[in-house]
Amino acid sequence: MQSKITTLSEAVARIPDGGRLALGGNTIHRGPGAAVHEIVRQGKRGLDVIKTAGSYDIDLLCATGCASSVSAGYVGYETVLGLAPSYRAAVESGAVVAAEHACYTVISGLRAAIQGVPFMPVAGLFGSDLLVARDFRTVADPYTGEEVVAIRAIKPDVAIIHVQEADEFGNARIVGTLFEDVLMAQAADVVILTAERIVDGSRFEADPSLATISSLYVDAVVEAPHGAWPFGCAGEYEPDLAYLTGFVQASRDRESLQAFIRDRVLDTVPA
Amino acid sequence: MSEPSREQVRDMMVVSLARLLRDGETVFHGVASPIPMVATLLAKQTHAPNLVYLNIAGGVDPEPDSLPVSTVDPVLIRGARSMVTLTDLFDLAASQRLDTAFLSGVQIDGQGRTNMSVIGQFDAPKVRLPGGAGSAAIMPRAKRTLIWRTKHDRRVFVDRLDFVTAAGNVDRVVTPLCVLRRVDGRLAVESRHSWASPEELAAATGFAIEVDESTPITPEIRTDEREALLRIDPDGVTLTEF
Repeated sequence: MQSKITTLSEAVARIPDGGRLALGGNTIHRGPGAAVHEIVRQGKRGLDVIKTAGSYDIDLLCATGCASSVSAGYVGYETVLGLAPSYRAAVESGAVVAAEHACYTVISGLRAAIQGVPFMPVAGLFGSDLLVARDFRTVADPYTGEEVVAIRAIKPDVAIIHVQEADEFGNARIVGTLFEDVLMAQAADVVILTAERIVDGSRFEADPSLATISSLYVDAVVEAPHGAWPFGCAGEYEPDLAYLTGFVQASRDRESLQAFIRDRVLDTVPA
Repeated sequence: MSEPSREQVRDMMVVSLARLLRDGETVFHGVASPIPMVATLLAKQTHAPNLVYLNIAGGVDPEPDSLPVSTVDPVLIRGARSMVTLTDLFDLAASQRLDTAFLSGVQIDGQGRTNMSVIGQFDAPKVRLPGGAGSAAIMPRAKRTLIWRTKHDRRVFVDRLDFVTAAGNVDRVVTPLCVLRRVDGRLAVESRHSWASPEELAAATGFAIEVDESTPITPEIRTDEREALLRIDPDGVTLTEF
């Protein structure tokens, strides 16, 4: 097998403007922070960001004009920091479309893509205005006639997932919570892993089930120590609440937000 | 009655929610849920030792030794002996094998439906809210949903939602003023907290409720409940909700 090791800038260059981009992790945990910063540096445009629950990643991509649509169930910093100000402002101004999902509908759309079917039936959702607002349609059970919601396949052009360990071929181990990351890796056309450490893959041979993501799905592997930052990374470091607080506070006015992005995002050195 | 402190309100909400949990059932909470996290752990340490605690971090029945500010933090796996994915948790709800889910709403109406999406129009919102996370999928499929909200006023408890994010099997709603129970599809006051007068409660609620001096008072918190709560949450993670 050929090594898939590459640089962060080369890997991120594979994301097409206007593409559907799935980001691993959940709220302030194990998002691909370094890769998101590189997306901002490269000035990507028109991205549809796919995630069940996002925070800084989606907020920053909205603040910098990289995202034009967000397909997610939740966007915010949870209880302490609350709403995502740039996401909110971008949706309210019309610059970004909030393609709200119910988390499970993101999962179901990814599953449809993985299974090569056009849609996935999903239990629940009846009584929600999301059905009309999002044009989530129903289909009749061909056996009983009962109506069920059908979610269209979600096939990301690119998925970026930050992992604790990967070998040069893209066999990877995620420590702690997986969130939807394995589904994203299976559903996306191009899969980029950023890894805290590149390890000798022979260590997986003793028990290959320890590799949570198989090289089968992976296209690029980037060594990125501390590469989830400012997200936390289980077993490695906590979410950087001081940084995230600084970002949210800077978002109160355009000037301080631009200064924060210039000094803390653009002027940092890519891994 | 004098204004209760933030701690008194927190204690009443956490304990009221904990008492609603049953021994042996499976209980799930999602993102941004410090009060349900502590209520579930409190129930396990008091009347429901066999309750099975589930959250997005994925540990099955964890016993975390410290509480994170984010309720999807992987530290919530600690003490678990097996794991499930978020997909597994949604599947559990979808197949109607999840007993109790905790959900919240920025707006809540008289049927217990919630809005977590927008203030104003969905396509041109005045305020874009975080979104309902899994609410729309879970609320109709979990056997029952407990709703909590740390504000009780007419902007929260509305006659008409700007947008229905989720509707479904709501059982109770716990607020800083009262416990509401859904009976025949409508929320009714089950008990008011000792500091909430019938007049205040009616005035703070945007949909019609029946409440008067004969409305039961929520039972006082026992010493062992308060002690367990403070032992579980010594740093006041639950107070970040206020």
